[in-house]
Amino acid sequence: MDRQDIIGRFAEAAQDPLGYAKAWKARTGRQVIGSFPMNFPGELAHAAGALPMILQESDEAITVGHGVLFPFYCGYTRSMVDQAARGRFEVLDAIMFGDHCVQLLGMADAIRMKLPGTRVIFFQLISSMNDPWTQGRSEESFAKLRQELEEFLGRPVEDAVIRESTRLFNSNRRLLRRLYEMRKEGTAPLTSVEMQHIVKSSMIMDKAEHTALAEKLVAGFENGTAAPSRGLRLHLSGHFCQAPKPELLAMIEECGVTVVGDDLFHGFRYISTDVPEEGDPIAALARWYMDRNTGVPCPTRVQNNVDWDAFLLKAMREERADGMIVLMAKFCEPHMYYYPEVKEAFEKADMPHLLIETEHEGMALESLKTRVETFVEIVKRREAALA
Amino acid sequence: MNIAVQHATGKKANKLQSTRIAGKLVNDYWEMVWRAKEEGKLICWYEGSAINPFLEAAGICWVHGEAYSAMLAARHQEAKAQQVAEERGYMRELCSYARTHLGCAVSNQRLRGDGAGAAPDDDDLTWKLPAPDMIISAYAYCSTGQQWDEMTSRIFGKKVPIFNVSIPWIWGSKPDSGYLQGQEWEETSDYVTRQLHEMIAFIEKQTGKPYPWDRLYELMADIKRASELRLEAMDLCTAQPAPASFFDWVVSIAPINNLPVAGVKDYFETVLAEVKARVASGEGAVPDERYRLFFDGIMNWNKVGWLANKFANYDAAVIAGRYTHMAFWQEPNLIDPNAPVRGMAQNFLICPNNHSSPILIKLIMDLCRKFEVDGMVIHASRTCRAFTNPQFLIAETAHRELGIPTSMFEGDVTDESFYKDEILNSRVEAMLEAIDSRRIAGAA
Repeated sequence: MDRQDIIGRFAEAAQDPLGYAKAWKARTGRQVIGSFPMNFPGELAHAAGALPMILQESDEAITVGHGVLFPFYCGYTRSMVDQAARGRFEVLDAIMFGDHCVQLLGMADAIRMKLPGTRVIFFQLISSMNDPWTQGRSEESFAKLRQELEEFLGRPVEDAVIRESTRLFNSNRRLLRRLYEMRKEGTAPLTSVEMQHIVKSSMIMDKAEHTALAEKLVAGFENGTAAPSRGLRLHLSGHFCQAPKPELLAMIEECGVTVVGDDLFHGFRYISTDVPEEGDPIAALARWYMDRNTGVPCPTRVQNNVDWDAFLLKAMREERADGMIVLMAKFCEPHMYYYPEVKEAFEKADMPHLLIETEHEGMALESLKTRVETFVEIVKRREAALA
Repeated sequence: MNIAVQHATGKKANKLQSTRIAGKLVNDYWEMVWRAKEEGKLICWYEGSAINPFLEAAGICWVHGEAYSAMLAARHQEAKAQQVAEERGYMRELCSYARTHLGCAVSNQRLRGDGAGAAPDDDDLTWKLPAPDMIISAYAYCSTGQQWDEMTSRIFGKKVPIFNVSIPWIWGSKPDSGYLQGQEWEETSDYVTRQLHEMIAFIEKQTGKPYPWDRLYELMADIKRASELRLEAMDLCTAQPAPASFFDWVVSIAPINNLPVAGVKDYFETVLAEVKARVASGEGAVPDERYRLFFDGIMNWNKVGWLANKFANYDAAVIAGRYTHMAFWQEPNLIDPNAPVRGMAQNFLICPNNHSSPILIKLIMDLCRKFEVDGMVIHASRTCRAFTNPQFLIAETAHRELGIPTSMFEGDVTDESFYKDEILNSRVEAMLEAIDSRRIAGAA
């Protein structure tokens, strides 16, 4: 299987997550557990013998979902209630989540009402990350989720099995992080769309299957020669619960840009942090939850001693990026709150950035392209003036 | 259409006279806030839950972010704060309470903080809000609250100490789950109680003094009594015609929610006496009560009087609402004045949105039955998703269980630009006509 075949397999799962889940279920006879982003530990459901998959925004236009949530909600939440109301989630045996976002809570509430036959399990993760009780409360939350999962499945989920799952998930994350390293070095010249397929499919596919393919992919890039960057080196930031549309990513790269790093959820954010493999597995998950926010700070959490803006500036220095494009999903409140901090920090650091607001319903790509081209031109001229 | 004809007659709401006292109490309170720095008081900014008795007992001046934004909107002075916020990059789709309040924080930093801005104007209430010495975040349900407080802290350069109380949403999926009951309820009550005790330690650190518990006990005894009086007065609105309206209870939110406790008990005694007198004399909150409505949604603070008169003009008594009847110390029986912290935690946990839909909707349907409403008007507040989250589910249930029509209109808490008057007019008129049609069909 060559590189394109592997990426093609990832793309198939990324483009039809529920189709993948149906086929997996038919093949294995095991349960499928959907989760909402961004901090549900798939390791728990995997250890229970189920397929954990992060439920994804659909490309379909929203129809019946308009009768459940108002149009001034983010595309992810509206798409999810739409999929639920249309019966798309039949393949799911249960849905589990722990994240606290007001739109996500409204969506979950509506989905539970629309799918009375599907168990929806929730235990709220603390979102204040540096309180003396954050670790302890996170442990309580993960322990509750485990307990409810065990009740639902009717069997215990042993510590040793959770550790095995943890090791598998960590190895998968490490492989994908290696791809990010190689992309930064230039030895893995993956496009943003390809990178999205790779990471997004890891949220969906059987972890062992995905890892085996990822190993081959990484091996194919190792010891390669670093290709020079094509055009400007850019960092992509933002877009949390939902993946940016591939056509948007492709358009950005068509404007003479090489994306060398990102902190997208369907990107580096998802794979940034490993779960400790030793000790109590629930305490380890809590540690992972907290480490994630210091590793790649998230505006959906509050942590006064961690700065997302400083993280972004540091990441850009390490990536030798010339500028940043911020992708903001329309109506994403956490992002709207934090954006002025990023904007001010970037202005102070004299680092160029461009904000693009994205929508579920489709975007005027030609008009966005003009904005990206103009941004690229400004950065190039600026670089030339500084040279 | 007969309703449109009535529209031209200009009937007005028969507001409770006693609510004028609330206006004076509110003005006195804000004057106190604006003087607080000069008087050497520590100032705490907070949002969401009514932690103000904890602060008042400790002699700390408290500023509730939503209350400040609502006050600006009620005085039609919110635009400047919103403009300042927008200039810094806060987008229009953000909670307008937060946007307005953050605009005050930005303005405060520009004009007081770094001296780089223009000379402040003392009549400019955007600038006039005194900077905090501490921030406490204790927000139920809405994730916006915690993020808003965090951003406030960052606007002040992270130099102001901040304390977070995390209040979990009550999901209520277990067989024993229900309103004020079940394992989840007890566990979350304990969890929030523990954090409130930590918050007291934080307050002690800021004041440098032992916490005056006896003072808190006194305040909570008064709040408990004020709450009982308020609920008793609200309950009397089952009378037909209803002696007071949802809009009277909106005006009475500040006294129960965030004003100095001294005076609040007296206020609600006066309100209760007036409501009783109206019941006895058959005086209604609208001149000619023909329809009884439930109001779902948060208030549109730029439009309180406007909406009160509009519904009065339709002969519609808006009697009860999720915002007024399911919040603000609405379970006084949970408060033991001599050991009030757990009861306070529990009242914070039952803010109108902090129960998931199965429990929340049942409470709303119970209120609709109790007040014998003919229909429901639903305010879809554009930037307050905490309130809009369950509204389609509420409407569906009202149709299915109560057989009453509902009517939705778009507006917002403090951003007037989202309010569309003609949409409200046409939808409410359609709903009232539907009620008339049902009555005619029922009588036939």
